[in-house]
Amino acid sequence: MTATSSTLEQDIAITIKEHLGSAVENATALDKGRISVITRKEVARDVAAWLQRFGLDHVLAVSGVDYPWENRLDVVYFLSSYSRDNLKHVVVSLKIHLEREKPSLPSLTPTWESANMFERETYEMFGVNFEGHPNLQKLLLEDNWDGPPPLRKDLKIPELA
Amino acid sequence: MSTLDLNVGPQHPGSGHMRIKAKTDGDIIVEATPDIGYVHRGCEKIAESRNIIKNIPMLERPNIADSSHLNWSYIKPIEELQKVEVPERGLHIRTMLCEINRIASHLYGMAIMGGIFSGHTTMYMFGFGDRELLLDLHEMLTGARMTFSFFVPGGVRRDLPKGFIEKLAETLGYLERHLVAIDRVFLSNPLFVERARGVGVLRKEDAIKLGVVGPVLRASGVACDVRKDTPYGVYDKVDFEIPSFKEGDSLSRWLVRFEEMKQSILILRQLMRDIPKGPIARKSPLVVPKGEAIGRIESSRGEINHYIVGDGGDKPYRVKMSTGSFKNLAALPFLLKGVRIGDLPIIYGSLDYWPVEADR
Amino acid sequence: MRQSDLLIIEGTVTKKMLKRIKVIWEQMPNPKYAIAMGDCACSGGLFHDSYSIINEVEKAIPIDVYIPGCPPRPEALLNGIIKLREKIRREKVYPR
Repeated sequence: MTATSSTLEQDIAITIKEHLGSAVENATALDKGRISVITRKEVARDVAAWLQRFGLDHVLAVSGVDYPWENRLDVVYFLSSYSRDNLKHVVVSLKIHLEREKPSLPSLTPTWESANMFERETYEMFGVNFEGHPNLQKLLLEDNWDGPPPLRKDLKIPELA
Repeated sequence: MSTLDLNVGPQHPGSGHMRIKAKTDGDIIVEATPDIGYVHRGCEKIAESRNIIKNIPMLERPNIADSSHLNWSYIKPIEELQKVEVPERGLHIRTMLCEINRIASHLYGMAIMGGIFSGHTTMYMFGFGDRELLLDLHEMLTGARMTFSFFVPGGVRRDLPKGFIEKLAETLGYLERHLVAIDRVFLSNPLFVERARGVGVLRKEDAIKLGVVGPVLRASGVACDVRKDTPYGVYDKVDFEIPSFKEGDSLSRWLVRFEEMKQSILILRQLMRDIPKGPIARKSPLVVPKGEAIGRIESSRGEINHYIVGDGGDKPYRVKMSTGSFKNLAALPFLLKGVRIGDLPIIYGSLDYWPVEADR
Repeated sequence: MRQSDLLIIEGTVTKKMLKRIKVIWEQMPNPKYAIAMGDCACSGGLFHDSYSIINEVEKAIPIDVYIPGCPPRPEALLNGIIKLREKIRREKVYPR
């Protein structure tokens, strides 16, 4: 990419850090339109509201990542924009660190309606409780699933060679 | 007000199992809830226990009609982490296969979701008959009719065979003539137009708020396409347009797909002309280096994102697939509120929802 | 389902869908036949180690013809239906 677009990502990262201050622990510009923002669950709703006003109007994906030996479960939101031309090629990832034992964070569905189904799936697959979600129910698994949340590393699949 | 609970599915003549729980008051649907997961196979979990090459056939099966886009979207973040650059000829062949696949997938969509769901069997026959020519092209290039497993990290597996370009030119000529017939028999047919015009209108603000993708988004007035916004492959070297309409009803969603087929034919004609010489692949290590990457590819049903987390081994630590059909699912309960039961197949069909892709 | 004679199971059978397949099978009147089409329906296929699928559908529904392939070619499906017809022709019907 040319120098102008990498400066754009750095500008965005600097703007985010300036406006949100201590609410974000980290805002870094990676290459090819990627910006990574790490925040805490207590201020997640305020950070999300600011990012939405900034122009990031929809969610591309919400994923959990399980790190059992670090006792950590991350929830990552990927955001992009349809309405601002200078943000159409940008993907901002908003990461929140949680504990593996009963993880919970405020739902960001009131800010981004497009996060609705993704949060339901993350609840079902990782056991994360999204407080304030309008309909936190099982989505994909069978009706009487009684095992651990499948995508946690606790559930093992026999490894092939 | 007492309502009747109506079950649409899970077994119905579509492209997969999914259920819509509709509460109806007389003929009007008061509330519709999608119930999915009938084809959930646990792709993301299995992907963590197999090495990156063995994952390729498994991860392209969620959408067999459009598998090359899923393949590319899985390979792209891995190549980014491995810092491998695909040679020009490899990118060229990838783009050609993806565009042929896009036309085949749209024909499939128009045949089943447009034709069968509105009771139009001629469209079904036309769509599947023309698609056979494209499947012959697939077989000539990759050896398989549908799920090819043709892209690997670093390039593609085989070079263009002799006679492929001539056969492609012949097929494109036939398709251009036959698309006129499809237009006359289906898209301009007053019987279909009366059923689809003004039905299931999705306004621009709602489309952005719900986060829909693909032709559903472009029919509501938002002209966003990953091939233009974040170009990959050789899309930045070809001339094409992004069709979009303002009305946001079911008819415009089909018109977007129809125009996209014409644009794909245009792209293929340009790609056929000057194919760069050189290697088709570069060697890439059989590991996923430590780090995270996300890929963005425009498939025929919308934007696909693959989020890969690597830990240095040959198996990915986490693979998250976010497909176009899953994102478009948010529009279904919104569009079905307050419509007549007779409009349900038209609206559901116009979203071109592929259940296996949404459930993975 | 009251009018069909043949049930073709194409693709993977998940645990969530198995209950509904059994309901459809019970709704079909005798004589009825079932074909398992595709590697996933025959034996689990590529997804055999998944947590949410049934590998052997014949424990729930008796299968008459297996069509392997991933996906099976159209010629394989026609061949499977021809084999089913031969199997039906070999059956004996006893007058009551």
